[in-house]
Amino acid sequence: MENSTIKEKIVKDMLPTDAAAIREEKIIQDLLPQRFGKWGYIWVGILVAICLVGMFAYYRQLRYGLAVTSMRDYASWGIYISNFVFFVAISLVGSLITAVFRLAGVHWSTPLTRIAEVIAVAAIIFASIIIIVDMGSPERFYFLVIYGRVQSPIIWDVIVITTYFFISILLLYYPLLPDIKILLRYKENAGKRLYKFYGFIGSFWKGTHKQYLLSKKAINVLCITIIPVAFSIHTVTSWLFATTYRPGWDSTNFGAYFIAGAFLVGAGAVVVAMYVFRKADHLEKYITEDHFEKMGRILVLLALLYLYFNVNEFLTPYFKMKESERAYLNGLFTGDFAPVFWFAILVGMIFPIIILLFKKGRKPLPVFIVGIMVVVGAWFKRYLIVTPTLLHPFLPMHDVPANYHHYFPSWEEWAITMGSLAGVCLVITVLTRIFPIIPIQETLNEQHETAK
Amino acid sequence: MKPLNKICIGLLSIILIFPYFEAFSQAAEKGDLNVAVSYFITNNKVPYLQVKVNTKVKGKFINVGDIPVKLFLDKDSTGTFIGNVTTNEKGEASAYIPTSVKAEWATSIKHTFLATFDGNKKYGPAKGDLTVARAKILIDAGSDKTVTASVFELKDTTWTPVKGVEVILAVRRMDSDLPINETPTFTTDSTGKASGDFKRDSIPGDSKGNITLVAKIVDNDQYGNLLIEKTMPWGAKFVPVNNFNERSLFATRNKAPVWILIIAYSIAISVWSVLIMLVFNLLRIRKLGREV
Repeated sequence: MENSTIKEKIVKDMLPTDAAAIREEKIIQDLLPQRFGKWGYIWVGILVAICLVGMFAYYRQLRYGLAVTSMRDYASWGIYISNFVFFVAISLVGSLITAVFRLAGVHWSTPLTRIAEVIAVAAIIFASIIIIVDMGSPERFYFLVIYGRVQSPIIWDVIVITTYFFISILLLYYPLLPDIKILLRYKENAGKRLYKFYGFIGSFWKGTHKQYLLSKKAINVLCITIIPVAFSIHTVTSWLFATTYRPGWDSTNFGAYFIAGAFLVGAGAVVVAMYVFRKADHLEKYITEDHFEKMGRILVLLALLYLYFNVNEFLTPYFKMKESERAYLNGLFTGDFAPVFWFAILVGMIFPIIILLFKKGRKPLPVFIVGIMVVVGAWFKRYLIVTPTLLHPFLPMHDVPANYHHYFPSWEEWAITMGSLAGVCLVITVLTRIFPIIPIQETLNEQHETAK
Repeated sequence: MKPLNKICIGLLSIILIFPYFEAFSQAAEKGDLNVAVSYFITNNKVPYLQVKVNTKVKGKFINVGDIPVKLFLDKDSTGTFIGNVTTNEKGEASAYIPTSVKAEWATSIKHTFLATFDGNKKYGPAKGDLTVARAKILIDAGSDKTVTASVFELKDTTWTPVKGVEVILAVRRMDSDLPINETPTFTTDSTGKASGDFKRDSIPGDSKGNITLVAKIVDNDQYGNLLIEKTMPWGAKFVPVNNFNERSLFATRNKAPVWILIIAYSIAISVWSVLIMLVFNLLRIRKLGREV
């Protein structure tokens, strides 16, 4: 009690600049990366364990070939490709939160930019890995580069993913430089090895005016560049399907449909991460209810947009019910895939829209739950885009073993897929342990501007 | 019990049990097979036989495969055995007439071919036969683009022209034969000849314009199936258009369309130029930091 009175007196007696310095110090202390607590270690332990099981399953796949999977002649793309499309989709969030909002002058999104960038980097890393897993033997990727045809959308995808990955890394790195300068000031917080690492990647940042201008220009260029590249990555991924003449994929709408879906799942992932980091690192002052309110509004808009594209994708073929697409559409609406299809539509779009339309639904916890629903629904939606089509070819299946007519992933596929999902979470966790999850310098700058 | 009663009961039991035993032991009714034999001779070379086996199920003829059939010339004996054949899924099987029956073949101007099936668990025994007279067909193509077929029958030891035989004059195409003009069939005159004008001038031939003319007798009751071919340069020269090595979306990597190369490389170069510039920008920031 006595201490607090003394503190108040000190604050009253201080000059304005001293008060600002204390506020700054408080912000820095709040936003410095936190060491793992007990739950942090448990969380990392669980993720590492899942990754190890996935690696063992991948070892089995390398040793015995793709025969360990349930993919056969017809369902030649299974949950690996669904997962790939999911990761590619989720990575779009980097361009939405960082680039679009920054260029549009939206300042409230500042605390969310690093979260979005980290998710984008982690997702695009594992999108690249999972596509190599799907190839069976990894050396096939080398052959793809050596013998690939520039006419093939697969090569376009390889080029555009590499480009997007590089841009995402730069977009994460450039805004980090001022924060690294701050991190270097707090050696005792970092620990010896981490301090050395900070020094290696950012000791040259002195915060001079020239450096600041160069950095600002670079970030602006990156924000402009990443938007068309992000649109390309999703459009090209959709063309992997749309340029193949099959029921369900023969659509001119696929590019826009994929981009809409990617924005939705990316935003969903960000609200989940926002809630988790807010709780785990006690960031209630920085990631406020207002952020959830605004992200909730964005989510409902994106969910409505994606629902609109889904109506377009399914209603017109359903109306025509072409003979060649009948089995595929019936399979989705009322057949084997109906439970997953309606789950993805209801849980991934309709319920989130209903919840988020209400003000109470845009509070942190409901938004977090909706985020989870969107992400889970989106994963199943990707599965529905890939596999049912392959099981309903235009030419009927003849003279094939009975199990070729169905697809259910083997344990190796599940393990590798879960391993990759855990891998994404692990990369995000490690990055947030190393770097501040909310940009410190930008928060300080905004604080200054508000004070003025 | 008196012995007579025992005998009566025993006999009664046998009488009562026997019909049931019969009912159980009765074999399933076997199906009937139809065996048809056809005779073919192409370009007056070695003749061959084709056997077709089918059965009638619910009013429909269904081809029966996997039926072993023995073929004989004139009579069912070892010396006239042509061969064993087994029908395929279309119910068909064929066999050339072997040299082992050459002596028998030379003895007569008419021959009967016998096809026998001994029966199996599913079908009862079946037989088929076909009698044909030995005949040959010739083809001639005149410079005025007239096609003439001549049909001869062996009488005693000489080949005699046959009048009134229907002949098809046609051009060989990929899947079937195209008549040389609008007339579907021609009939031989007293000299055994049938002629028709070739009116398919624009028809594509091979690279030299060669086409194959055919004269054939189809399913004739007396002579079977006779066919003869002749190659003539009456077709249009076919110059194949091969776009395999042209640039296209579906060609190999070094045959990509120029427009796609320009677009793809322009995009890649411009984006990566920006990224490389940003990396250099980073190096500039680094240099500025060192200078401070």
